[in-house]
Amino acid sequence: MILLQSPSRYLLQILSNRVQNLEKGVELDCQWVEFDDIRYHIQASVKNPNVLLLSVSLPIPPPETVLFGGLPLGALEAIKAAYGVVAQILDPPRDGFNLTLKLNLSKLPPDEEHKHALLTKIASVREVVMGAPLRAVLKHLVSRTVPSDLGKPVALVHRPNESFFLVPQADKVTVIFPMRFNDSIDTVLATSFLQEFVEARRTAGLNNAPPCLWSPSAPQELKEAFTEALSANAGFVSFVIFPRHVEGRKLDRTVWNLSTFHAYVNYHVKCSECFMHTRMRRQVESLIQAPTKYCFPYGVWNCPADTKESKEHVPKI
Amino acid sequence: MDPSTSRPAVVIDNGTGYTKMGFAGNVEPSFILPTVVAVNESFINQPRALTKSSNLAQYSAGVMADLDFFIGEEAVSRSKSSSTYNLSYPIKHGQVDNWDAMERFWQQCIFNYLRCDPEDHYFLLTESPMTAPENREYTGEIMFETFNVPGLYIAVQPVLALAAGYTASKCEMTGVVVDVGDGATHVVPVAEGYVIGSSIKSIPVAGKDVTLFIQQLMKERGEHVPAEDSFEVARKVKETYCYTCSDIVKEFNKHDKEPGKYIKQWRGTKPKTGAPYSCDVGYERFLGPEVFFNPEIYNSDFTTPLPDVIDKCIQSAPIDTRRALYKNIVLSGGSTMFKDFHRRLQRDLKKIVDDRVHASDARLGGNVKAQPVEVNVVSNPIQRYAVWFGGSVLASTPEFFAACHTKAEYEEYGASICRTNPVFKGMY
Repeated sequence: MILLQSPSRYLLQILSNRVQNLEKGVELDCQWVEFDDIRYHIQASVKNPNVLLLSVSLPIPPPETVLFGGLPLGALEAIKAAYGVVAQILDPPRDGFNLTLKLNLSKLPPDEEHKHALLTKIASVREVVMGAPLRAVLKHLVSRTVPSDLGKPVALVHRPNESFFLVPQADKVTVIFPMRFNDSIDTVLATSFLQEFVEARRTAGLNNAPPCLWSPSAPQELKEAFTEALSANAGFVSFVIFPRHVEGRKLDRTVWNLSTFHAYVNYHVKCSECFMHTRMRRQVESLIQAPTKYCFPYGVWNCPADTKESKEHVPKI
Repeated sequence: MDPSTSRPAVVIDNGTGYTKMGFAGNVEPSFILPTVVAVNESFINQPRALTKSSNLAQYSAGVMADLDFFIGEEAVSRSKSSSTYNLSYPIKHGQVDNWDAMERFWQQCIFNYLRCDPEDHYFLLTESPMTAPENREYTGEIMFETFNVPGLYIAVQPVLALAAGYTASKCEMTGVVVDVGDGATHVVPVAEGYVIGSSIKSIPVAGKDVTLFIQQLMKERGEHVPAEDSFEVARKVKETYCYTCSDIVKEFNKHDKEPGKYIKQWRGTKPKTGAPYSCDVGYERFLGPEVFFNPEIYNSDFTTPLPDVIDKCIQSAPIDTRRALYKNIVLSGGSTMFKDFHRRLQRDLKKIVDDRVHASDARLGGNVKAQPVEVNVVSNPIQRYAVWFGGSVLASTPEFFAACHTKAEYEEYGASICRTNPVFKGMY
């Protein structure tokens, strides 16, 4: 797996199980947490097996971002557009959550293919909600309509108490991520990972990918607008998105990949730690082999009698 | 306060056959996957190229191959459809065997299935009672170094299985856990939450042996199952059709009288040609689970039936705990899910105990009457993931976070903090 998938695997599993065994209609009540501190809660009762209550809570927003009723800008419209009659937004949401949807499974489209597509869309609820403001800005780029606040940076929440920034312009949008990591080793790995990442963009096959840049200090355009939000221990990454990156069906993927960029880097940092550990283990094994061969030329268990005591000191491999 | 204590802990129970994972506080694990990794090893054994450019290409290909692996059902289907992937089973007989594969397995569990950030959650992992302290240290090392978890608790599976029953009735942390998994069978006495380490009994018959036995029976009868698929078919047959009988001779007679009622049909398609085939499932339906009660039908080296092993285990425990242990015999693990398994076990065990009581009564000559011993085998519907459920219950109590090894402790003292497990404290 290289990229994170947008539908939540567990939610999709619950939904498709439910749809397949609708007449059984068992009691259901579970909650879980995804990366970036997005919590889910799903509930269903025996009495009304067609109705599911899905609640989502979003990361705590930092002060520089703007939310409307606890949801990002444009999220309500995006939900209505994506789910239509199947989902109904409950107001107020469940205690401790930002959004509660009442899903009515009897209103799903009858044919299998559309039904599955819609269930996948419901499982991608975080993309719909969290990606809504980013999508709105990128849509301006597609239609080449000039937004009113041209050149003024916008802050969007993507992690608890952290945000990333957009600088919309007439023909491009610059997306800037301040990268923060808690662990010192992670910070070092992420820094070199990001430098490699920028380097990889320059290879011949990737000419059409969005240009990206890494710098240890904040870009100039952000400095005036958000002074206090600009602390990052692994530098700043910026992508320049052109209209060709958001045409047609590319828009969905661009929105998802941008809004989970931090999780993507975090995942790959962990993967490289895994890889390094594998290599270290292999190295230790080969290093242990050398003294074993030297001390016991006849093999550990066939050594002559006088060295027999020393074989107890051989570390177990 | 540490924000990660306000989030539910992640509970992962790695078994030899299946891994159960999910979040604490739920009643069911989110995913139950076969513990298997399909690795792409086509890049590892290539001869070293001389030119620099191809070296670089190979290097990046190797790095990509490192991410190119699958776990669980996906792994099984991938390895079937293409020859580039090799299956590797990281856990053998309840012990982690291949740490590289295990680390990758955990990585996919966390990022692809549970999709959580390991830095945000406390983790509860499980281990079999026979795990060496070094393995526990290794687990701690991987969890703290690779995944940066804020806290880790490594629980012993039988204790969790007992804790799973704890919510159902009252607080009962004394009992014998009969844990029959896919790769290992342990009989573990637990008194007041402490494992009586010296009395643990393990037997070399587990779920995998039942599968192998069924495979052998079907082969000997000449059922037309493709050879490369026969193990999988045997496993499916075991999971869907097997049951425990009360008397093997009577059961043979029943099958012979009414074959239409008892003989089932198994249908499948051949993996190579895709042609459909079908085969009969007959005596192996009850002979499979019979391996636990009459092991000599499968293996001539080990012939002690499971009820005898349980009895020996309890007899070797401290005398003041024995009655309580007989009273609460808890089943856990997927291979105890055969229909009527607990009834058969209870009947056989009761017989052994009653015989002993009668013998001692006869010896004492009727003057002193021994109090009858209560034997009770507990079975519940969540048996298959009882260990996971116990973990979920344990990890949702506020005391859990205090009992964990934290990252700060790890950084101060190193992996040795994971060496001992408090439930064994009585032993050392």
